[in-house]
Amino acid sequence: MSDAVVMSGGVHAEPGMRVYNQKLGMWVFLTSEVMFFTGLIGSYLILRSAPGVEWALPGEVLNVPLTAFNTFILICSSVTMVKAFAAIESGDQKGLRLYLVATVVLGAFFVGVQGFEYYKLIEEGFLPHCGEELAALVPSCHLYGSTFYTMTGFHGTHVSIGVLCMIWVTVKAFRGKYTQGDHGGVEVIGLYWHFVDLVWILLFTIVYLI
Amino acid sequence: MEGKKQPYMFIFGALAVLTVVEVGVAFIGLPRTLTIWVLVFLAVWKALLVALYFMHLKFEPLRLVLLAAAPLPLPFVLVLIVLVEYAR
Amino acid sequence: MATVEAVAGQMAHAHHDDRSFLRRYIFSTDHKMIGIQFLFACLFFLLVGGLLAMLIRWQVAFPGKPLPFGGIFPETMAPNGIILPEFYNALVTMHGTFMIFFAIMPLLVGVYANYLIPLKLGAPDMAFPRLNMMSFWLFVSSGIIMLASFFVEGGPSAAGWTVYAPLSAVPEYSGVSAGQQLWIVSIVFFAASSLLGSVNYITTVINMRAPGMTLFRMPLSIWSLFITAILALLAVPILAGALVMLLFDQTIGTTFFLPEHGGQPLLWQHLFWFFGHPEVYILILPAMGMVSDIIANGSRKPIFGYHSMVFAIAGIAFLGWIVWGHHMFQSGMNPLLGTSFMVSTMAIAVPTAIKVCNWLATMWRGNIQFHTPMLNATAFVAMFTVGGLSGIFMASNSLDIFIHDTYFIVAHIHYVLFGGSLFAIFAAIYFWYPKMFGRMMNETWGKVHFALTFVFYNLVFFPMHIIGIGGHMRRIYDPTQYTFMQPMQPMNRFITISAFLLFVSQIPFVINFFWSLFKGKKAEINPWRDNGLEWTVPSPPAHGNFEITPTVYRGPYEFSSPEVDEDFLPQTTPLNGDRRTAPEQVPGD
Repeated sequence: MSDAVVMSGGVHAEPGMRVYNQKLGMWVFLTSEVMFFTGLIGSYLILRSAPGVEWALPGEVLNVPLTAFNTFILICSSVTMVKAFAAIESGDQKGLRLYLVATVVLGAFFVGVQGFEYYKLIEEGFLPHCGEELAALVPSCHLYGSTFYTMTGFHGTHVSIGVLCMIWVTVKAFRGKYTQGDHGGVEVIGLYWHFVDLVWILLFTIVYLI
Repeated sequence: MEGKKQPYMFIFGALAVLTVVEVGVAFIGLPRTLTIWVLVFLAVWKALLVALYFMHLKFEPLRLVLLAAAPLPLPFVLVLIVLVEYAR
Repeated sequence: MATVEAVAGQMAHAHHDDRSFLRRYIFSTDHKMIGIQFLFACLFFLLVGGLLAMLIRWQVAFPGKPLPFGGIFPETMAPNGIILPEFYNALVTMHGTFMIFFAIMPLLVGVYANYLIPLKLGAPDMAFPRLNMMSFWLFVSSGIIMLASFFVEGGPSAAGWTVYAPLSAVPEYSGVSAGQQLWIVSIVFFAASSLLGSVNYITTVINMRAPGMTLFRMPLSIWSLFITAILALLAVPILAGALVMLLFDQTIGTTFFLPEHGGQPLLWQHLFWFFGHPEVYILILPAMGMVSDIIANGSRKPIFGYHSMVFAIAGIAFLGWIVWGHHMFQSGMNPLLGTSFMVSTMAIAVPTAIKVCNWLATMWRGNIQFHTPMLNATAFVAMFTVGGLSGIFMASNSLDIFIHDTYFIVAHIHYVLFGGSLFAIFAAIYFWYPKMFGRMMNETWGKVHFALTFVFYNLVFFPMHIIGIGGHMRRIYDPTQYTFMQPMQPMNRFITISAFLLFVSQIPFVINFFWSLFKGKKAEINPWRDNGLEWTVPSPPAHGNFEITPTVYRGPYEFSSPEVDEDFLPQTTPLNGDRRTAPEQVPGD
C-alpha cells in the first residue's frame, strides 16, 4: 500500500507506519488482545505451577481427539481466509466470495463443536465449579474447571465475534464493495481472524496437551 | 508481496502435520519435562508460521513487526516474576 | 481510497457546517466535541468524588455525630445521618473509583488526548472518528452503571478501589453482592472505552502527522499522551481479564481467587497491580507533558532538554512495568523479589528527577508570566516533587512495612494525584479553554481559585504525613477507638475543616467556568502567544480543523528566538532558510 502518507485530499503527511490507518489500528488492537490473553493464560500458569497443585493428565477429562479435529477446522478456516485475501488481491471476485463463505462456515462449525464439547463435559459433571463426584477423581478439579472454561470460553467468544464480523464482510463482498485496489476490510478482518487462530494454537497446546 | 505467489497451501500442510505431531508427542509417553518443552517448541513454531505468513508479518515494514512484537516481553515479566515467589 | 474521500469530505465541512444538532453536540464524531463532552462528564464525576470525600472526612473527624443534611440518606446507609461502618467502606471505595477511573484518568486522556492530538499534529480528526464517539458513550454508560450501584440492595462496592479478593469475591465478606458486580461490569465497560481511545490516539500519532511534524518536533504533551496511550493499551486489558475472573468467581462458581479450592488471593493482587502500576503513570504522564508545554510558554523560553524529557517519559513508562510488587510488600513476598522491586522502584526517581530539573532549568532566568495556567503548572512541579519524594520513602521495603496502609500513603497519593495531576488539569483547563470555547476565563478569579486551592490543599494533605507516621491507619471508620490515636483527633478535625474549605474553594472555578462560557472575553486566535499548531486556527476551530493542511518547520518551543521580533515563533512560520517543499514523494503514487 503506497498511499500511507497521503492524508487529506491528496496532501502528503509525515511518513508514519507506512501502512494504512485501519490496518495499523487493527495491529494496535491486537497488541492489546495479546495482553488480555496474557492475563488469562498467565493466571492459568501461575495457578497451575503453585506448590502442591496437582493437575489432571492430558486426555483424562477433556476429549483431545475431538479438539484436535476442531483445531484442524480452525486452521482450515485460516487458510480459506488467506485465500480470500489472495483472491481479491488478484481481482478475483468469485474466489473472494467463495473463500469468505467457506471461512464463515468453518468458523461457525468451530463454535458449534466447542458448544458440543461443553455440553458433553457438563453432562459428565465437569463445571466451572466442579461437581462432588468429579472433584474426588480429578486433582485440582475446581481450578481445572475455572481455567478451562474461562480461557476456552473467551476464545470462543472471540471466534463468535469474528464470525459475525466475517458475515458482514461477506455481505459486502457479495455487493461488490471490494476491488483489487481497495480491499482493506478483507485484510483487516483477516488479521483478526488469524490472530484468533494463533491464540487457539497456543491454547490447544497449553490447555489440552500439557 | 503483490504479485508473488504465496506458499499458503504449504503452510497449511505444515500446520496440519505439526498438530498431528503435537497430539502424538503428548501421548507417546516421553518424560514429562521433555514433553512440555517439545510441545511448547512446536506450538511457538506454529504460531510463528501463522503470524509470519498468514498475517504477512514477514513482508511488512520492520517498524510494524516491532510494534506487533512490542508486548511480547510483558507476559514473561508477569509469569516469571510471580513464579519466583514459589521458588523459596 | 475511501478514507481519503471521507477525510476530504470532512475538510469541505470546515467551510460549511450543515450537521444537525444531534450530530454536532450529542453523537458527534468530531474529536473536539468529544473532548468537550468528556470534559463536562469528567467534571461531574470529579464533583461526585469530591462530595464522597467530604462524607469520609466528616466521619473521620466527627465519628458518631450526625451529618448535616444527613437525613437524605436511607436507613441502610446513614440512619439519622450517622454513617454506618458498611457505608463508610463503600464511601472510601467509591471515592477512589470515581476519582481515578472517572475523573483524573479521563480528564487527562479522554479530554486532552482527544482535543489536542489532532490539533497539535495538524490532522483533520482522529484516525477513527466513529470509534472515538463510541469510546465516549461507553465511558458514559460505565459511569451510569457505577452511579447505579448506589441504588441497589447492599449498596455499592465496599472492597476498596483495588477490590482485593477474596473480600470482593465473596459477597458475605463485605455484605455487597449486586453492587460489586455492577462495579466490575462498569469497569469492564470503562476498559473497552479506554481501549478504543488508545487505538485511536496511537494510530493518529503514528500515521496522521502533518508534513514536517517529525516525531521529535511533537510537543511534549503529545509525546506523553502517546506513551500514556501505549500504557493504557497494554495495561487495561490485564485489568479487564482479572475483573472477568473475579466476576466469574462471584457468579458461576470459578475459584481463581478463593483459597479453599486452590485459588490464590495473591494472584488478584499481582494481576491488579500489573495493571495498576502502569495505571499510576497513566494518571501522571499526561499531566507532566501538558505542564511542560505550559511552563515553556509561561517562561518564554525553549523547554530545557527536550530530548531528555522524551526519553524520561519513555523510561518512566518502561520501568512502570517492573515495579508493581512495591504495592505488595506487605503480602509476605519472597525477599529476593521484594528487594528487586525496591531497586527498580527507586530507579524511577532518576527519570523523574530529570524531568523536575528540566522544568526548573526551563524557568531559570526566564521571562516568567504568572498567568493562571502558569501558576497551576508551577504548583504542579512543587507538589509533585513533594509527592515523589514521599514515594521514595515507601519504595524502601523495610520502611514501607511500617507506613503501609497509614495516612502517609493517603498523603502521598493525594500529593501526586491532586497536587500533581489535578493542578496540571486546572492548568490545562485554563490554558486551552479559549481554544475550546472561544472565550477567555476570568484571570482574577482564576488566581483567587488557584491561591485558595493551593493553600487549603496543603493544609489538608500535609498533616496527613504526620498522623500517618504516628500510626493512623487509612480507611479506618472510627479513629477514636484506639487510645494511641485519640491525641491525633484535633489534627483530624483540622484536616476535615480544611477539606471543607478546599471544597468550597472550587466554587470560584465552577462559576468562572460557566460564566466565561457565555460572558467571557472573546478569545483571539493565539491569546497565550504560543507556537503550537492549534493556535493557528480560529478559537474554537471549525469542524475539520485546518482549511489547508499546515506544514511544520520546527519544534514547538521556539520562544524568544533571536531570529524574529516577537518572543514566539510558531511551528508553521517558515523562515528564510526553510524550504517550502512538501516532504518526500512516494514513488508510484
